[in-house]
Amino acid sequence: MDRRQFIIGAGAMGASAAAMGSTAARAADDVVIGVVYPLTGNGAAVGLDAKAAYEVAARIINDTHPAIGVSMGKGGGLDKLGGAKIRLVFADSQNDPQKARAEAERLITQDKAVAIVGSYTSATGATISQVTERYEVPYMSADNSSPSLHQRGLKWFFRTSPHDEMFTKGMFDFLSDVAKKTGRPAKTVALFYEDSIFGTDSSNVQRKLAAAAGMQVVADIRYRASSPSLSTEAQKLKAANADVILPSSYTSDAILILRAMAEIGYKPKAVLAQAAGFQESAFMQGAAALAEGVMSRSSFALDADKLRPAIPVVNALYKDHNKKDLNDNTSREITALLTLADAINRAGTAKPDAIRAALVGTDIPGSQTIMPWAGVKFDENGQNTLCNPVIQQVFDGSYKTVWPFDLAAKDVIWTVGT
Amino acid sequence: MDNFITRRRRHELMVAGGLLVVAIVVPLFIRDVTALNVIILSLLFAGLSQAWNILGGYCGQISLGHALYFGMGSYVSTLLYVHGAIPPSIGMFAGAAVGGLAALLVGWPCFRLSGHYYAIATVVVGEIGYLLFLNWDYVGGATGVYIPIAKPSLLNLQFGKDKLPYLYVVLAFCAATWLAAWLIEGSRWGYAWRAVKDDMVAARSLGVNIFSSKMAAAAISGAFTGLGGAIYGLYVGYIDPDSVMAGHFSILIALPAVLGGVGTLWGPILGAALLIPMKELSSSYLGGSGRGVDLMLYGAMIVVVALAQPQGVVSLFRRRAHGPA
Repeated sequence: MDRRQFIIGAGAMGASAAAMGSTAARAADDVVIGVVYPLTGNGAAVGLDAKAAYEVAARIINDTHPAIGVSMGKGGGLDKLGGAKIRLVFADSQNDPQKARAEAERLITQDKAVAIVGSYTSATGATISQVTERYEVPYMSADNSSPSLHQRGLKWFFRTSPHDEMFTKGMFDFLSDVAKKTGRPAKTVALFYEDSIFGTDSSNVQRKLAAAAGMQVVADIRYRASSPSLSTEAQKLKAANADVILPSSYTSDAILILRAMAEIGYKPKAVLAQAAGFQESAFMQGAAALAEGVMSRSSFALDADKLRPAIPVVNALYKDHNKKDLNDNTSREITALLTLADAINRAGTAKPDAIRAALVGTDIPGSQTIMPWAGVKFDENGQNTLCNPVIQQVFDGSYKTVWPFDLAAKDVIWTVGT
Repeated sequence: MDNFITRRRRHELMVAGGLLVVAIVVPLFIRDVTALNVIILSLLFAGLSQAWNILGGYCGQISLGHALYFGMGSYVSTLLYVHGAIPPSIGMFAGAAVGGLAALLVGWPCFRLSGHYYAIATVVVGEIGYLLFLNWDYVGGATGVYIPIAKPSLLNLQFGKDKLPYLYVVLAFCAATWLAAWLIEGSRWGYAWRAVKDDMVAARSLGVNIFSSKMAAAAISGAFTGLGGAIYGLYVGYIDPDSVMAGHFSILIALPAVLGGVGTLWGPILGAALLIPMKELSSSYLGGSGRGVDLMLYGAMIVVVALAQPQGVVSLFRRRAHGPA
């Protein structure tokens, strides 16, 4: 390719990019919501599932269909805005905080998004929420879990899902409940966590709550995320032989540590994971039989259909669209968009300040969601206070809800102290 | 130095002055924030890459650890602001000083290594810095540091929604790095450094102090990189080790210079002007599909330039009279 061809090529690129920008012509009525996720690079698998989840949520809101028992589940658009439709505009953050910031800004200024939804990792959530604060549009955090996000006291930040402290508190509540139920309490715990923001935050809270619950931390193991080998760590866990191992790991590390423990012939008494890698479908395939009996917290319970009849309906829609069951992340994403749409509808206008006021007044009962939560209601920092996690355990290669006991699909298998 | 101010150098200065005027005036007519964002990032990376070029291009010491100086610059200025209430407009110069100091500390042992070993050592040192910050609670560890939203002012280097003042700050940074490179090119130092790059034994025999030449180049390069890092951190509003110290920043800083032309005044600017808009716009307008088309185009462009113009894009503009391009 010579210089001239190169310039022509580059020009064509520019022209096509410009054309794509202009074809995004908007119908007058549509309410535009910007959605920022990692659609390429690391995190893309989660991001693409999220995209599918939001598309399903938008169809629940916009399409004409038999009523579904969730907020905004009657379909046909936003009735208080003359049946206006929600239109989603997706942007790729590449899991880069700088990129996430720039994309949020573009969605607000160019696409006229009246709210932003996002964004999987907490670092991207951090920069997006600073943009939305400056532009004064709501940011609906569907799945960023760092507690530091809502603790900044931002005016335009809302989070439907639990943050890591609430998740961890749920895990210790479970340990306390199961001790009461079986009479065999966990006395010692081993912390095992990866070294990025997720594992660090998680272990900090676990250390604190273990002390409060009078449990002894017999191993405190921090490891480099995506390590090629975790055999040293497995040896340490074996030596400590805690009643409960509390791992905070992403998928490949989660599989690796179970294998490493099996290789040295160590069968832990109980594993109670901080979701993440342990809740991914790749984990179940990779760990196979080793995953049996592993427990994990989750914010979603696919098997809670008796309590939440909308779950199978929404799950069928999602499965039809993305060939997968809903999981911890995708269920929260759908819930976030439905909550936002409900607020826009109650606001009766697509003006950001009216939407914010409506979000502040949000009060959705748990029965109007697909989550096992008590409901959706935001505190003064925009954090939903009614979202309690559940604990699940692996039976025959799939997670079944075992706690809270009134939601349980199966009785927990608790081998500590036997 | 006056002896060396030839017509060519005066010409370069005039071109740069002209471009500066264009860069000041044109953005006044741009309202679109995405376009302004792309210009800001292009200028920032042009400046960063020029800083890299001072060490890697002129002195021939290929560093793949500039993310360390970049990250330290942004951490120092941010932490001074968050913990010490020192405004970023002052803190960023502290960031620059620390960046330069860090480059000296890395250089002290590493410049004793020659050839590829220096490059390898910088990768390792960069990674050590990353891990250190990841595990250091005072600097926020893995949680990172939020830069509080403050009243828009030049002192705070925050301008709310307004992008233009920001653009001029970054433009000043870019212009300063270019001017530094221009001054170096015509100075005794510049000649000594290029001699070090071409042939260390010959340079030594001519009385050039190899070690101190490398150290001086590293200090200047590190200081400008630290300054750029401080500006970047303020622009993004949140920093954590992954977003300012990860190894890919070292590549991103070196790439415009390599693509545009190593050891040339205009290489880093040309490289950044091509690379950054391509990267940002393609991902903004094609990335939403999630099919990775943008990354393929970006990669393809790098391959095309590497094959068609191995000396860098800048060689397109060289007259044949100057010898083979």
